[in-house]
Amino acid sequence: MKSRNIAAAGIAAFTTAALLLTGCSGGGGGNSGDNGDKAAATTGTLDFYTDKAAWEPDFDELNATSKDAVDISLNTTGYSDAAQYDAFIKQSFRTQKSPGLFTWHTGDSLKQLVDENLVAETTDLWSKAIDEGWATEDLRDEYTFDGKQYCVPMNIAYWVMYYNKNIFQEQGIDVPTTWKELDAAAAKLKDAGVTPYYQTSILFTFQWFQQLVAGTDPELYKGLSTGEVKYTDPEIVDIMNIWLDEQKKGWFSDAGSTTDPAVGLKQGDFAMINFGSFFNGSLDGAGMVSGEDYGMFVIPAVNADLDTTPVAVESGPLCVAENSKQKDLGLAYSEWWMSPDAQTAWNAARGDVAFNPKATVKDPMLAELGKTVADDKHTLFTRYFEATPTPILTVALEQFGAFNANPGDPMPFLEAIQAEADKYWAEQK
Amino acid sequence: MSRILRTTALVILGVFWLLPVYLLLVNASKSPLTYTSKEAWIPSGEFALFSNMGEALQLSGLSDSIVATLIYAFVSPIVAVLIGAAAGFAIVALRLKRGFLWFVVIFGGTVFPLQMVLLPLFDAYSRVGLYDTHVGMIIVYTAISIPFSAFVMRNFFTGVAHSVFEAAVLDGATTWRIFTRVYLPIASSALVAIFILQATFIWNDLLLGLTLTQSDNVRPIVTTLAGMQSTYGGAQISTVLAAAVLVSLPTVLLFLFTQKFFARGLALGQY
Amino acid sequence: MAVLQTPAGERAARGLDQTPGRPGRRSRKTPYQGSARGFIAPGVFLVAVLLYLPLLWTTFLSFTEYNGLGDPAWVGFDNYVEMFGDPAFVGALMNTLLWVAGTLVIPVGVGLALALLTWNLPGGIWLRLPFLIPYAISGIGVGVIWSFILSANGALDQALAVFGVTDPPRWLVDAPLNTVVMIFASSWQGVGVNALLFTIGLQSIPKEPLEAARVDGATGIRLFGSILWPMLRPLTAVVVGLSIVASLKTFDIVLSMTKGGPGRASETLALTMYRETFVNSDYGLGSAIAVFLSVVTLIASVLYLRQQLSQKHEM
Repeated sequence: MKSRNIAAAGIAAFTTAALLLTGCSGGGGGNSGDNGDKAAATTGTLDFYTDKAAWEPDFDELNATSKDAVDISLNTTGYSDAAQYDAFIKQSFRTQKSPGLFTWHTGDSLKQLVDENLVAETTDLWSKAIDEGWATEDLRDEYTFDGKQYCVPMNIAYWVMYYNKNIFQEQGIDVPTTWKELDAAAAKLKDAGVTPYYQTSILFTFQWFQQLVAGTDPELYKGLSTGEVKYTDPEIVDIMNIWLDEQKKGWFSDAGSTTDPAVGLKQGDFAMINFGSFFNGSLDGAGMVSGEDYGMFVIPAVNADLDTTPVAVESGPLCVAENSKQKDLGLAYSEWWMSPDAQTAWNAARGDVAFNPKATVKDPMLAELGKTVADDKHTLFTRYFEATPTPILTVALEQFGAFNANPGDPMPFLEAIQAEADKYWAEQK
Repeated sequence: MSRILRTTALVILGVFWLLPVYLLLVNASKSPLTYTSKEAWIPSGEFALFSNMGEALQLSGLSDSIVATLIYAFVSPIVAVLIGAAAGFAIVALRLKRGFLWFVVIFGGTVFPLQMVLLPLFDAYSRVGLYDTHVGMIIVYTAISIPFSAFVMRNFFTGVAHSVFEAAVLDGATTWRIFTRVYLPIASSALVAIFILQATFIWNDLLLGLTLTQSDNVRPIVTTLAGMQSTYGGAQISTVLAAAVLVSLPTVLLFLFTQKFFARGLALGQY
Repeated sequence: MAVLQTPAGERAARGLDQTPGRPGRRSRKTPYQGSARGFIAPGVFLVAVLLYLPLLWTTFLSFTEYNGLGDPAWVGFDNYVEMFGDPAFVGALMNTLLWVAGTLVIPVGVGLALALLTWNLPGGIWLRLPFLIPYAISGIGVGVIWSFILSANGALDQALAVFGVTDPPRWLVDAPLNTVVMIFASSWQGVGVNALLFTIGLQSIPKEPLEAARVDGATGIRLFGSILWPMLRPLTAVVVGLSIVASLKTFDIVLSMTKGGPGRASETLALTMYRETFVNSDYGLGSAIAVFLSVVTLIASVLYLRQQLSQKHEM
């Protein structure tokens, strides 16, 4: 009867499960955790964790090259929720599974790990890289704490303006080279019934702010990240009012839209979008053709008197845990990673700009971008995300998002951010 | 209310209810290259559902996860249902002293949000060696299914006359036999309902899989899929939707098949 | 089954000896304690080890300052003070209560209505099916689909445009509209499950009293009020109890649709906890919020259950 059926089913299930379990030897645990090798192994399979789960296929593709070159291949585990990934990594330092290789964030987050001696030092790797011309000194600064370097750069992205070429052509607009020209272009688009800029009220709400502030005065921007400049200072308020003015003119897209930005650009919801250079991948995936349907330009400085044009750069590190069983393996991979061969192969797989000037970048637009920002008419500055301490960043993102949703007097928003900033800097003393 | 009126009203309501599913299917079938968000209701000429699903499968190494998830979604609910029924039986039929208190203790397990237990569990699992193992996942999925199961079963059993128990005792049955031969059969429709609901919940789990596993062959399916949605160049929306359709198919089928069971089981009446 | 075929068993099965719930005429001694403990042990054990132990750790953390690295530092009640003093916390509390109320009205209320409408209706099972399917759809799909529908110029706005509505509300941006709208989205999944549970309840109502009432001429509302509603009580207790607990914990759907924004306008307590723990790495504060939320949920459920069930059964 029914009870017998249920019991029988249960027993069957148990048996099946038991068989499968003994067969599978408990999942992935057999891989690296308990190989009795001494930690000195510098070849083999490296356990790699990343919060850029969408890039997992690219890392896998790279294994063919790395196996040939240094006999190391990655076993990648990807996460898509950055916050949970961070918590997982932090927790894993205390366990047997301290990561051999993992992606992280520069700035405050990296400093936290360095302070607790959780990541392996890479000073020698960097010296070699600088000598060989594989990386710039500017970039090395991002990875330096107390004169020593930690981690190596995994990716680099510049925040530029993407635009819909077809719309620009239809409206007879040329790529702007000064802020005045950009304003004029926006006004022209608006008159023709096209929304000039993209905005959202969730997550990526900071980029216009960073562009306006750094483009007015890079020192002002730096001051914000050290607490010397307050969000409520008059210069910042003035900048916010510029932004508010643009909002009032209707230059931004609907903050309530959850349409994918790549799709939005394709279908003309807006003509321009300030985004990171990794966006090429999304645009290609949406069916746009690089150079024909979309293009990019470096955003001109707001303040025409500046010597150089500031460009926001974000760089994500590849780190090795100090107490990991695979530390040497991880460092060996890191060393290879910085080389032009590795970077060219990586670029072929992923397709973004490369930090290594000697690597070959496939997409001509991105190659061009890489050259442009490296010349002496441009200076790089750290993206807001990495430049701002986490608690302040959380509030700032929310406040900018609320501002985008309901643009109005900037003071309440700025005060909210500053309140958090005051709290944070007071604790640092 | 007349039957025709009722049936018509329900059919209309049902159609409305399924509109989002229609949207899901239509947009999961659009090719990413021609996808536009402005025509959400209108199917595009091409039917790209299977190629989108294929893309989703390839992007995320799904096939390994499927086997693992099937195991979890099958074994854990069965065990949890039985344990929950046992608890209900103990409290109601066997009249466990301070039964309500014990019931609250078990039910309390469902009271706090999962996020609270994630990190301590991860820590404990790693130390004990259960991290990234099938056994570990089965244990934790069973544990989180028990409170709901105990809750429903306890309430169900209070509707069973105690004289049933006493009569069985009179006939000389042991408590174990009474449980398996009398109470479980009576409760079969409730048991199946709980099983289905918990199996669906486990099948769709994201958080526990995210925290307690890393290998593709241990990871539950939704966790593996969630990796596709990254802002840093994740899959196009039609692919994500196709993945959602793919992942939902087993549970939808499960619901469809067990509808027949309900018809039979409930028609037998009760007791 | 052999047991039920004895005369005693048969009479018992037909409920003729005593109605459920009345204290038995048998002695008040409780003879099966050992056996009962054995039956309940696995459940208690698993729940205690896997759910309560971590809970204890988290409670400990709520009294400390801890960022995930290094060691926790004891700070006493500081986190709780900070929590209650934050205006966004109060906002999140309000939102959470709104979720509780909304979830009682819609998924539970409509679920019950649905169960009643399909009861004893030929093909009732198939009529219920459309409402069950949403529950079977994976979380990714639900969050994406509803964002898609409610997005500015999304599917809903497009449909409204057909009817001439050109300036629709900003569903996901304006609070508290966004919370209300998300409650609807969540109810889309919840109605079917509740209908299923209520159906089970209706199906297990004993036939005799029902027939008797019908013979007496009770139909429709009267039937509902005098027979159905009282006999559904144990099940209603289940459904409402679970509903309260689940809605207090609302997290997934808000995270995927608005992330608690804009600003923190649509945040629920579970989301606040997530923000502090995972985004800000302030484990101490996050744990304090989690503890607060759990205590509230536990008290609410115990109070509710006690009141519902103590009338019927001896403890």
